[in-house]
Amino acid sequence: MIATPFGAKGRTRFKLPEETSVLIALIVLIGIVGALRPTFLKPVNLLNLAASYSIAALIAGCIVFLLSMGEIDLSFGWILNLSAVLAGLSMIAGIPVWISIVIGIAAGALMGALNGVLTVFMRLPLIIVTLGTASVFQGISLISNKSGSVVPTDPKITQHIFFRALGGVIDTPVPIILIFVLLAFVVLHLTLHKTRFGYRILAIGSNPEAARLAGIPTKKIKIQVCALMGAVSGVGGVLFLGFRGAVDPSTGGQLLLPVVAAAIIGGTPLSGGAGTIWGSLIGAMIVGVIGVGVVFIGIDAVWGTLVTGLVILFAIGVDQIVRVRKKRGS
Amino acid sequence: MKNHKVRLGALALAAIMAITAGSAISPAQAKGKKLTIGFVVHVVGNPFIQQIIDAAKMAAKDLDVNIKVTGPAGAEGDAQLTAAQNLAASGVDGIATSVPSASMVNGLNAIIKSGIPVVQFNGLGVGVNAPYVGEKSTQSGRILGKMVLDKIGGTSAEGSVIVGNCYPGFPVLENRQKGVLESLKKASGVTIVGPSDVKVDAAANFAAWQGLLAANPDALAMVGLCAPDVESIGKVNKAADNTTTIGAGYDLTTGNLEALANGSAHISLGQTPFIQGYLPVYILVDSIRKGIKINKPGFIDAGTEVVTATSVTEPFKLPALTFAKLQAMAKSQAKTRAYYEPVVKGYIKNWQKNLKPIAQESA
Repeated sequence: MIATPFGAKGRTRFKLPEETSVLIALIVLIGIVGALRPTFLKPVNLLNLAASYSIAALIAGCIVFLLSMGEIDLSFGWILNLSAVLAGLSMIAGIPVWISIVIGIAAGALMGALNGVLTVFMRLPLIIVTLGTASVFQGISLISNKSGSVVPTDPKITQHIFFRALGGVIDTPVPIILIFVLLAFVVLHLTLHKTRFGYRILAIGSNPEAARLAGIPTKKIKIQVCALMGAVSGVGGVLFLGFRGAVDPSTGGQLLLPVVAAAIIGGTPLSGGAGTIWGSLIGAMIVGVIGVGVVFIGIDAVWGTLVTGLVILFAIGVDQIVRVRKKRGS
Repeated sequence: MKNHKVRLGALALAAIMAITAGSAISPAQAKGKKLTIGFVVHVVGNPFIQQIIDAAKMAAKDLDVNIKVTGPAGAEGDAQLTAAQNLAASGVDGIATSVPSASMVNGLNAIIKSGIPVVQFNGLGVGVNAPYVGEKSTQSGRILGKMVLDKIGGTSAEGSVIVGNCYPGFPVLENRQKGVLESLKKASGVTIVGPSDVKVDAAANFAAWQGLLAANPDALAMVGLCAPDVESIGKVNKAADNTTTIGAGYDLTTGNLEALANGSAHISLGQTPFIQGYLPVYILVDSIRKGIKINKPGFIDAGTEVVTATSVTEPFKLPALTFAKLQAMAKSQAKTRAYYEPVVKGYIKNWQKNLKPIAQESA
């Protein structure tokens, strides 16, 4: 969200960041829920709730890379699951916690790379490849965990700093997971917008043929982005394991919709060529506030799904109105 | 200029929020107020779960408390835990929740530690410091397996039996599966096909059973472990004009009872959704009002109902029911409430006496 100067009639004006509109939508939503239920605005509540949605937010931040390239991954939820399962089983098997974490993340990166290799060599869109690999990863997870939860119970594991820090045993003013995810967002933002790798991703998403003719190794970049998506999903998996202290056979299975919705609400188009990491963070917060708001206001579960859909439309509407006004204004 | 206005508007809104935040009072802090109970289910839009929700609402009405019902559209523990945490943050006085996932345990214990009492129902989280209301899951599986075995020829039966689990890994279903397989293994000539993943979604569930019967046309029985199975098995048998394969499973939804009535399925075990919905709310309200601490594991049996087209066996010495009366009850909340009145006045009211060690759940 860096203000960009541009000249107009000899005067230096500052263009508001593109995330402004979606930020306004978020503030309006928070304002509405807060006005109806003031308890919602207690800082401790907001921080804890943000922590609950932080893993989905992290993955939304990374899926922006794929969307910017004009691709979408359907398997990341199961990559998260299998990475967490492998990390958890490694810990239970007596492998040191930090090494188990590396195993989980590396497994995620490998799964992502496999998606990329299959996409490139089968010349198929990632969405089609991951339709299959999602089930493969889920299946391997079910076989590995014997269709049960993986719960490290040995005090040597549960009292490890990794579990104590993420699980909230160590008292900090801001949940550790939230700090970690915010730092990850800075890295993701800089990677997409300040590195050659990021520019190449956007170029491929904008016009793949032109990017190829310009000498960009499109196949290699695709595999690298898929591996990055896998690695970040793996990070999400080990964070989940530390945060919740266990991983279930169903973990990650329902992440697809909120993650993709967060990126799109945040302002990343499905058409590729552009993307906003910070927008996806705000988008994830909007998805979170809607989920929390439905509970705080006391909307019955039967009505909750309808209300969630309507509020997402509202948020996208506010975003679009502000974008159009900004465009006219400039 | 317009952008400037937008920014000013946002700042004003933020200021209003800050002011209202300062005056925030948790509902739990207000004395003499009407209690609010949070009720979290693991999936919304499932007929069996809706029966539990309806019973919880009846309890709230009877006890003059507010109830907030929530839960994810698809069964996923983390989303459910987040919903429970949101309820706790919103200031409810107690939370009843099913616990389908081990990853919910630490989060729920944190809620309990913060002083909000919790009661579990339908799905048990091992390690949650709260009482659990539900069936004896392994034992109910044994009952179902034995009834199926009796129908296919007893311990001398020979052939295949298809077993389907709509949610592999869900602890209660795994326990039921264990019980069913335990009973079926008493017949050495019976070969188990599966357990196959038959999915929760009604359409996918039907398709799964259809495929399983097509692959095993001579199967002696199809045994499901979840609410959609009996109805699906009935439809599959009907579509295939199959009158020989026994259909069995769980729950007394309208569709399942219809399948039993038309003869396309044969056995369904109920797990008293009324008690699973009513009792957790009752325990919470009663314990809060009387200052009883409930922050340790315990088990209250919700009972098992055994239903075929010709007989209905209800737990807790409830009045005898005909199949027609059971069907009418499934469609009417008022009739259900009236039928369970003796249980409300006895078993539920005396919940403290009926609280057993948690080990009894999987005995």
